[in-house]
Amino acid sequence: MSFDPKSASYLDSIEVVEVQRGPKPGGVGGAYRAFGETLRGLKTTMARLIEGPMTIEYPEEKTPVYPRFRGRHKLHKFEDTGLEKCVGCSLCAAACPADCIRVVAAENIPGDRVSAGERYAAVYEINLSRCIFCGYCEIACPFDAITMGHDYEMADYDRRDLIFTKEMLLAEPVERTPLKSEGE
Amino acid sequence: MTEQIAVPFEQAPDRDTEIMTVNVGPHHPATHGVLRLVVDLEGELVREVRPVIGYVHTGIEKSCEDKSYWKVIPFVERMDYVSYFFQMEAFCGAVERLIDLEIPPRAKYLRTIFLELNRIHSHLVWLGTTALDLGAISMLWYCFRERDKILDLFEMATGQRMHTRYFQVGGVIEDIPVGFEAKCRKFAEEMPIRVGQYEDLLDRNEVFLQRTKGTGVVSRERLLELGVTGPLLRAAGDPWDLRKAFDYLVYPELDFKIPVGTVGDNYDRYRVRVAEMVESASIVRQCLDALPEGPYIADDRKYVLPPRSELSTSMESLIHHFKLVTEGYRVAPGEVYYSIEGPRGELGCFVLADGSAKPARVHFRDPSFVNLQSFRDMAVDGYVADMIASLGMLDPILGGVDR
Ligand code: SF4
Ligand code: SF4
Repeated sequence: MSFDPKSASYLDSIEVVEVQRGPKPGGVGGAYRAFGETLRGLKTTMARLIEGPMTIEYPEEKTPVYPRFRGRHKLHKFEDTGLEKCVGCSLCAAACPADCIRVVAAENIPGDRVSAGERYAAVYEINLSRCIFCGYCEIACPFDAITMGHDYEMADYDRRDLIFTKEMLLAEPVERTPLKSEGE
Repeated sequence: MTEQIAVPFEQAPDRDTEIMTVNVGPHHPATHGVLRLVVDLEGELVREVRPVIGYVHTGIEKSCEDKSYWKVIPFVERMDYVSYFFQMEAFCGAVERLIDLEIPPRAKYLRTIFLELNRIHSHLVWLGTTALDLGAISMLWYCFRERDKILDLFEMATGQRMHTRYFQVGGVIEDIPVGFEAKCRKFAEEMPIRVGQYEDLLDRNEVFLQRTKGTGVVSRERLLELGVTGPLLRAAGDPWDLRKAFDYLVYPELDFKIPVGTVGDNYDRYRVRVAEMVESASIVRQCLDALPEGPYIADDRKYVLPPRSELSTSMESLIHHFKLVTEGYRVAPGEVYYSIEGPRGELGCFVLADGSAKPARVHFRDPSFVNLQSFRDMAVDGYVADMIASLGMLDPILGGVDR
């Protein structure tokens, strides 16, 4: 892998193109270009008019996201039994590079089960002001209990409000973010 | 150098002018980040410039020593926040060399596609902001329009527009989704047309010519002395490109040219980078044509997470999964330096392993940091307006400089 930049073999193996230098500024050519080239530039910009706007009216109209988009986390329950999927194993907390997940597990009491497993998460908190939305928690969870949702509007006035508790993460978000189809 | 615009101290028109020291930045839009320049001015002429760095020092390299190998990936991405795929490739490539892990062909092609898209993205950010410094405001909108398309592609495949953690040791974390190929190909075919539009606006524009031609000239020998790489060196006429010089990913199989300049002034730097965007678009097209089927990540349970579908069926996979997530894998003692051609030059990653599951040292050779050393040579004895143009054309990313 050692290579001498000046060696013939390197120079033989590459194809070099010299970029053009363009005209010399100033002088008569400069006076012409101040008008001519500016008009040509204007033609380029005007031709873009037919392409239509690329922007959207953001707060009224939301940017749709792709299915893989990683937004605010969601915790899940089993649809049939209503029990929480999370068993408090703390794998997500171990995987988190930003150390922003806190899980305290407790034993399920028979007759008053919270989760489907032996244990459940008594405390489950994600500090979203530290989270880097890497999605490692989602990858780490072996029970699909936590997934990355699609909501990206999470700004708040107080940092304390950015610590999301289990109840907040289990609840369905009020406003859904529009989704792009895979092919769009 | 006949084309150079510089007024040496002895020839200054008005020798009575006092030297005045001015601070540019750290919070100044023309410094492209948080860079402070202490400039000694004699009238309009720059006599000395001292870049002061460290305002966005984040200690990422140190934090990496405290994280298992797979958790380092989202960290190193955040150094140079415009070329995140390059940082991931440098780190993952270095670790793969340490543990001697071969990545499957499809992963190599996918990585190359994303690296080249990222190179276009990085050059677009450079072109938009630098042209904005020189007064061409529509360039910013144009460049960011195309940049948004690239970010859309990133979001579609990886789930995030920036800082995607898509590359993992062993390959890429998931396969590209349905429809990505078509969308990416459409973009790669459209990109040269868009570049043509930028050129229509800038190439012969009189203001742009006046601002860039003959300004910020540094000779190739001086750049080599300073260790400058990337488009800056190529603009001075040295066709040094690690994609050709070293054998990594699928670059040896691809057919692309290396644009070089002749004079080494700001105009050449502009032309070289714009030509590189076209070459990168062509690389993306070639990779899409040749994209092989097959696995996208190595099948080595020691280092790579088992597929999700196996978790509910195989106890062995579940144990591997637990172990990799909680402790990570151990890497035998050793060290490696792996360098690739980033959008700003040689981006190298040094990893020292001490046998534990965490790297003992991660160090990045960031091209922005090294290239910034040549800034004094560009700016001294020129006009202060040309200094701003030179800084833009230097394209430093301060997140990478300070790390
Ligand atoms: S997305 Fe990443 S940073 Fe955020 S909670 Fe999950 S693992 Fe932690
Ligand atoms: S979310 Fe998943 S990984 Fe995290 S504690 Fe619950 S079950 Fe374990």
